[in-house]
Amino acid sequence: MADQDLDHMLKRMAQSKVNRRGFLWASGLSASAAALAACSPGATASPSSAAAPSAAASGAAPSDAASPSAVAEAVENELFMLNWGDYVDPDNMKQFQADFKVDKFTYDTFASNEELLTKLQGGAKGQYDISAPTAEFVPGMVEQGFLQKIDWTKVPNGKYIEEPFKNLWWDPKNEYQLPKDWGTTGISVRTKIVKEEVRTWKQFFEVAPKYSGRIVLVDSPGDVFVAPLKALGYSLNSVDEKELGEARDLLMKLAPHVLALDSDQYNTKIETEEAVLGLTWTGGIVELRDKPETADVAYYIPEDGTLFWMDTWVILADAPHPKAAHAFLNFIHGPEAQAKETMTNGYATCNSEAKKYIDPKVLADPAIFVPDDVLKKLEGAQDVSTNPLRIQIWEEFKSSIG
Amino acid sequence: MGARPAARVKAGRPRGPVVDRLGRFVEVWLRSHTFLVYLFLYIPIIVVVVFSFNGTSRRVTQWDGLSLKWYATVLSDKTIQSFFFNSFIVAIFTAVISTIVGTMAALGLQRAPKWFSRPFEALTFVSIIVPEIVIALATLVFFSTSWDILNPLLGTKITNGYHTIIAAHAVFNISLVMLLVRARLSGMDRTHVEASFDLYGTPWRTFWQITFPQLLPAIVAGFLLAFTFSFDDYIITTFTTGAGTTTLPLYVFSTIRKGVTPATNAVAAIMLLITLTVLVVGQIMVARNSRRAGARGTDAGMAGMITDQNA
Amino acid sequence: MTTMAEAAPVRAVQPRRSFRSAALTGLLLLPASLWYLVLLVAPLAIIVLFSFGERGKNGGYAGGFTFDNYVGALERNTPFVTSLAMALAGTVLCLFLALPLAYFIATRAGRRKSLLIVLLVVPFWTSFLIRTYAWLTILGPEGLGGFIGDVIGDPAFRLLGTPFSILLGVVYGYLPLMVFPIYVTMERMDRNLVEASKDLGAGRWATFRQITLPITLPGLVTGSILVFIPLMGEYVVPAILGYGRVFLIGNQLVLQFLEARDWPAGAAKAVILILIMLVSIVFYLWFSYRGRKTREVSVL
Repeated sequence: MADQDLDHMLKRMAQSKVNRRGFLWASGLSASAAALAACSPGATASPSSAAAPSAAASGAAPSDAASPSAVAEAVENELFMLNWGDYVDPDNMKQFQADFKVDKFTYDTFASNEELLTKLQGGAKGQYDISAPTAEFVPGMVEQGFLQKIDWTKVPNGKYIEEPFKNLWWDPKNEYQLPKDWGTTGISVRTKIVKEEVRTWKQFFEVAPKYSGRIVLVDSPGDVFVAPLKALGYSLNSVDEKELGEARDLLMKLAPHVLALDSDQYNTKIETEEAVLGLTWTGGIVELRDKPETADVAYYIPEDGTLFWMDTWVILADAPHPKAAHAFLNFIHGPEAQAKETMTNGYATCNSEAKKYIDPKVLADPAIFVPDDVLKKLEGAQDVSTNPLRIQIWEEFKSSIG
Repeated sequence: MGARPAARVKAGRPRGPVVDRLGRFVEVWLRSHTFLVYLFLYIPIIVVVVFSFNGTSRRVTQWDGLSLKWYATVLSDKTIQSFFFNSFIVAIFTAVISTIVGTMAALGLQRAPKWFSRPFEALTFVSIIVPEIVIALATLVFFSTSWDILNPLLGTKITNGYHTIIAAHAVFNISLVMLLVRARLSGMDRTHVEASFDLYGTPWRTFWQITFPQLLPAIVAGFLLAFTFSFDDYIITTFTTGAGTTTLPLYVFSTIRKGVTPATNAVAAIMLLITLTVLVVGQIMVARNSRRAGARGTDAGMAGMITDQNA
Repeated sequence: MTTMAEAAPVRAVQPRRSFRSAALTGLLLLPASLWYLVLLVAPLAIIVLFSFGERGKNGGYAGGFTFDNYVGALERNTPFVTSLAMALAGTVLCLFLALPLAYFIATRAGRRKSLLIVLLVVPFWTSFLIRTYAWLTILGPEGLGGFIGDVIGDPAFRLLGTPFSILLGVVYGYLPLMVFPIYVTMERMDRNLVEASKDLGAGRWATFRQITLPITLPGLVTGSILVFIPLMGEYVVPAILGYGRVFLIGNQLVLQFLEARDWPAGAAKAVILILIMLVSIVFYLWFSYRGRKTREVSVL
């Protein structure tokens, strides 16, 4: 299932205030320190051996009172999830169904946070139990009454959330969301064809005309805006008219060279060399490096800065199966389930305990678990998706690619 | 749906004398053009069906021997089974509703005064010419706004589901059935009706014994077409669907976005098979019924009815 | 139900029309009327209403009265222009493909006529989605597109995501709609006219031009309108074969309703699209009325 794309759109993490951002960097450091600690030789020996049997019986996590079975009280026998396509490890889903006797697990998908909002607005409210919006969309969803508070007594595994991921601006009191995973938006390159160095957004725009018609971008305004704004040295959350105007010019110059806006198959396009340069997420890209014919694929976190996003689990208002929803949240945040999620989806977890069960190779991958010096260059997202100028530029860009 | 004497006469003779022969080169060109267009029409369908038997486990275009494994995978997958089920529910309800409502409308319309029938016909027209995407988005906005207003008012929690998909599908299909039945009505032989009256048959009996059998081919055709339309619809469904009512076309579309697999092709091939079965059954039923009812008409049963409708 | 038997054409309105008869008529028409009112008139009315409104803070609609949405739609009209160009090109292509085909079926197919018509109908009634995505495999980098790229030695060459692939997709999808009406008019054509023309010494082409073509013209126009209208509002084909590189009104509408969640702006564009349809239809009706008269004259 590894090549299944991540369907992510609009991944943004956000810091609205400078001091908060400072806080994040400090805590980001500790997070990655934990990551480094977890993949030190001493720490890796036991998890890898423990991971094997746990796949068979996840209910019996060693020495852990908060394993899924510990809270396997009776829940409803149905669960309705509205999520990005293929964003939960299928084994985890099966395991959850078996553990909690959930006969009917409905997994419907959306392609963007906006589509999720449209669906909730358009009659899906009260039909689904769980969803996974990107963090900065949470406040808007709370405001519109789409979410309900999480009952943390039913989600004891919430204790594994690492400190840096708590009390962030979109959910200051940790009431509405459970961090799902996080990642970056960067540059994917077929180095055997693109000989130039493309390690910054500035270089990305410079070499683009040379590889005209072979450039793929994710179909997500929040991510695409990162490139021009960062290349120009501005904040990726800019809503300044002048700055956005300059960004627009860069984008419109790029437009004729773009092969496609594609959040679903950007990895396939890179794999088949249909595209040789991409503005992508890591999902579906990192595993290409392990195949001999695509070993030349590189994923760079641009040195002039990029986006750091986080997706969150939320329980929807009027959820028809609240017990099952809470049980699922707790289950999926169990260390082993969480480790499986990371290895399947290719995005970093916010679960400290899970890192013990993650393949050290994945844990050491700077494209997934970003090293702290790189982390400093990242910027979280604010909810600027409703800015009219950005919407207008995005439309203009989208209608003039190719 | 009138008779076409010229066609009838010629149809009996293979390669009948063509009066307007256009020279050898042009004749050859006409022939090959026709052949190529038919090839063009069928190549994609053949590709889908052929590749659904591909034994490969990776790329869909890498041929790896004939195999039925993707059919086995697809048919045993519980989720896909539920998509089949959803599609059937939607299509059958849509077809039943559209057939009843559409036939009633066709019968009513010819009795209705002009001040009513004109605007009604205009609406029928609108339902057919307005692009599906516009109807779909308008319906999305309509349902969304309605639930927002109605739910607090009534204290209910109405949301999207089968009912919204079926209701939205029915609009176009009611128009379709109505047009088919109307065409049949206007081409109907009235002598039997009059004869029945002459023999003092009650109107009710006259309808069921004389009128209805003559309308039946159109009704059957309408039902089957509504079924296939609804079964295959993507655009309206995607904007009116609710939780757990994903249909096959929605599934196919989502897999296309993620990259076509042999499993996609297998599902598509099964969908094609279902549609074709419906069409063939319809063709046979309509053709047989036409003969029995003694209606003059089409040279190709349902297909003829459709071509006539488009004229 | 007493007058059900009158459910036959012509002279339906008769002097002895009773109240019960009127009630029956009403009853027969009630369900369809309700359906149209609730699920056709109401949604379209909402769209018209919203097109004069403003976008809500969290998307959707927030009341107000403004023409900005229309001004915006007309200022940034690239998708309209692209759609128009694609629709016209697609219609002309369909015309060129359909004319000889319909002519062949109508005049030369003989006994196989029925079969050919059925073969034409079959793909038309199967899933549009499936027939469209099939071209992904055929035109893709591992299909024809990649093959041509290899032959001409250009690794960047492709077919998907070009106007060509969109045109191919729409022509493929809508060709039968062009063939049917042309075929029907040709088939109904009185062969004696052709013979008469010949007897009077006209050449083949003169006959074709002066007899066959004018008689077929209503069919051509009907076919063109039947193809042009869905092409203008096409969404599935560019969504699947276009890579987002060919951006039509349909895509624009989805972008505005779903992604930007700017319902008023989307509504204004939808209204403009509907107006374009209506203008085409009015033109068509005008033409067919005019055409009918000329045909009568020519037959005389």
